[in-house]
Amino acid sequence: MAEVVLERVEKRFGDVLAVAGIDLTIRDKEFVILVGPSGCGKTTTLRMIAGLEEISGGDIRISGRSVTHLPPRDRDIAMVFQSYALYPHMTVARNMSFSLRLRGMPKEQIRERVKDVAQILGLSEHLDRKPRQLSGGQRQRVAVGAALCRQAGVLLFDEPLSNLDAKLRVHMRTELKRLHQSVQSTMVYVTHDQVEAMTMGDRIVIMNAGVICQVGTPLEVYYRPVSRFVAGFIGSPPMNFFEGELVADESGLAIALPGDMRLALPRPELASRAGRKVSFGIRPEHISVAQSGRPLSDVAWAAVSDPARVPAVIEVVEPLGHRVVVTARGEAGTFQMETEIHAGVRPGDRVDLWFDMNRAYLFDGETEATL
Amino acid sequence: MPPDSAAPATPAPPRRRARLFDREAPLGYALVLPAALYLALFIAYPFGMSIFLSLSDAQAGNQKWSFIGTGNYSKIQSYDLLANDFVIGRFPSDASARAFLAARAGFKVETSPAPGGGSRATLAAAGRSIPLLDMAKEDDASFAGSTILQDTDWTVRPAGGQSEVVAHAKESPITLGTFETRAAVDLAAKKLLVPATTRVDIHGTGVLQDPNFLLALKNTFKYTFGTEILKLLIGVPCALLLNRKFGGRRLLRGLVVIPWVIPIAISAQAWLWILDSTYSVINWCLVHWGFLTPQNIINFRGDKDLAMLSVIVVNVWRGFPFTTIIILAGLTAIPDEILERAKLEGANGFQRFVHIISPMVRPILMVSLLFSVIFSFTDFNTIWIITKGGPFDQTQVLATYAYQLGVNAGYIGKGAAISLFMFPIMAVMVFFMLQFLRREA
Repeated sequence: MAEVVLERVEKRFGDVLAVAGIDLTIRDKEFVILVGPSGCGKTTTLRMIAGLEEISGGDIRISGRSVTHLPPRDRDIAMVFQSYALYPHMTVARNMSFSLRLRGMPKEQIRERVKDVAQILGLSEHLDRKPRQLSGGQRQRVAVGAALCRQAGVLLFDEPLSNLDAKLRVHMRTELKRLHQSVQSTMVYVTHDQVEAMTMGDRIVIMNAGVICQVGTPLEVYYRPVSRFVAGFIGSPPMNFFEGELVADESGLAIALPGDMRLALPRPELASRAGRKVSFGIRPEHISVAQSGRPLSDVAWAAVSDPARVPAVIEVVEPLGHRVVVTARGEAGTFQMETEIHAGVRPGDRVDLWFDMNRAYLFDGETEATL
Repeated sequence: MPPDSAAPATPAPPRRRARLFDREAPLGYALVLPAALYLALFIAYPFGMSIFLSLSDAQAGNQKWSFIGTGNYSKIQSYDLLANDFVIGRFPSDASARAFLAARAGFKVETSPAPGGGSRATLAAAGRSIPLLDMAKEDDASFAGSTILQDTDWTVRPAGGQSEVVAHAKESPITLGTFETRAAVDLAAKKLLVPATTRVDIHGTGVLQDPNFLLALKNTFKYTFGTEILKLLIGVPCALLLNRKFGGRRLLRGLVVIPWVIPIAISAQAWLWILDSTYSVINWCLVHWGFLTPQNIINFRGDKDLAMLSVIVVNVWRGFPFTTIIILAGLTAIPDEILERAKLEGANGFQRFVHIISPMVRPILMVSLLFSVIFSFTDFNTIWIITKGGPFDQTQVLATYAYQLGVNAGYIGKGAAISLFMFPIMAVMVFFMLQFLRREA
């Protein structure tokens, strides 16, 4: 059992409130991702759990025991750093066993454990090498191995993949996820990359400006973002936003966008808010090219009813393979859409686009909360 | 027809000078030239010249000189055989030894022809006949035997369950002869027929036969290792301290290098005053606070041990900022995350220092040590200003002795030979340090 509980945890650096009293419960054996833009307090939160930063207020409990005033070594945690923090003068085996040797574990047992961990991580061949003789990915695995050797209840990761090249990062993402399933430790993982967050976490904690915006499974935060910030942060390419006004007329509720655009909105429950300023958000994957009839080849669009028709000029086309990201300019502004390569659009084309209004989001103009 | 020769209007090749300025190699050579000239003129030439002079008998003010080969380095003229603590006899008990000793007044030294030629001195004592030594001439044998009998103190000392009577010369060992070759002196040592402690003194005109040179060599090592150890003992904690975060750290980092940047000629003047035999400020304070009376103030530069300590302290005072700054550079190069990881893995401050910080700083520490050893080993200024090698050559090092012998006394050849002795010693030390560095890296 290694449950991590944060209660009104606060961190001040002088006058700056880096973490503004957050509450969070990380369940035993859960893989939780702290994600947010730089400066949002996610790394500070992780370092407070580790004990590398003092806590200005609140309490942190690990496995029911308050660790707020315990030194890092007594907290039943292990950590993987962004730079890997390998000891350059020690071999891989000694790097991995450093904490065990400090604890005075018998040599025989240390050797066994290092051997086991090296086996899991595919490092058995490299145990006698020094870190500088290893590739980036191998160093990364040594750092993970050193943390695993501790057999701590909680594993902390501070942007461990950000120094790897793109291909290796994707590979290590899978590796770490598999590792989590086999070692059954509680894992807390900090990243600024929402793709990493979405693909790896059991739950995602989205932070901004020192507070937690939303906690939920990847699909929850993707489909039911609680605020405009979360909606804009999760998803790639990011959600398109338009500033507008909620209007009600004889045909029902609609949103009025700049350039005299009116998009009918199938949300009768919002009628009472007519006249309010709102942000209209729609994800790139919910916009499609309206050519002759519906794009039946695109399975997701087969079930869409009553899409809004928006005329636009194609500006940039970025093929990703079977999908393309298209930047288009309409009356209401510039936005991105993601569609099939077969849509066959070219820069300069004037086309009509469909917005899937059933999957549109509305955010309050002032509070930015999802409506 | 090749196309280029077909075109009559081929543009003229760019002028040679323009091309020269465009190339990088000539510029590189041009920039290196002053340094190369400097090295040749002020390093290579004096070095070659001192090798040249060290092979000559050149003297200041004497225009005539000649090559004398390696005579300045080593030229042996004679070997003296010295001996002391002659074991006259062994006795089963203390009492019998004392009885023998009591009869000493009646002992006589007699000479007889030795079996291998020459003459043998024999001690006729209490009915016993004890052969002492063989020598070529009867007079010498008789004289040496009589000296052992008459000019020594005889005592009884226990030896492995028995007792032996030992003849000990108080003032200095007894010289048993002067020989021209090593073989002759070794043979003479074998002809000493009673057990004794022997020594061979070598006399000659080369610097290796000069006891002052050997003393200077010893002092140089004392001075170098004394300063280096102290510099490390002070520099490492200083660097660790300056690496911590505290208010005024930058200011203190600046202040700490002051001893290093003040010209030694100036700072040594202050030290001269601090260590002065009459006006020493340290003595003044100690007297003022009642620790000392004016009659027994400390003579820093006059006492042989204190003099060496004084020059070491001055050199350490001047040199430790260099060690501190270099180690500080090494410390700041250790990433924070590595120390945080060590902390997280359970290493306390001491363990972090032993297992993480020192191994990571070691290579740069060796570099600093390398430079520091070179500075100390060849140091002339500090010692020349503070003690001029005194008292009684107790702080004489190779650099000062080479200057005194070569310039002040005018024995240019010998001075050159002494200064050249530093070269192979330094080369060996530097070789081992670089070897160590390479193994670390």
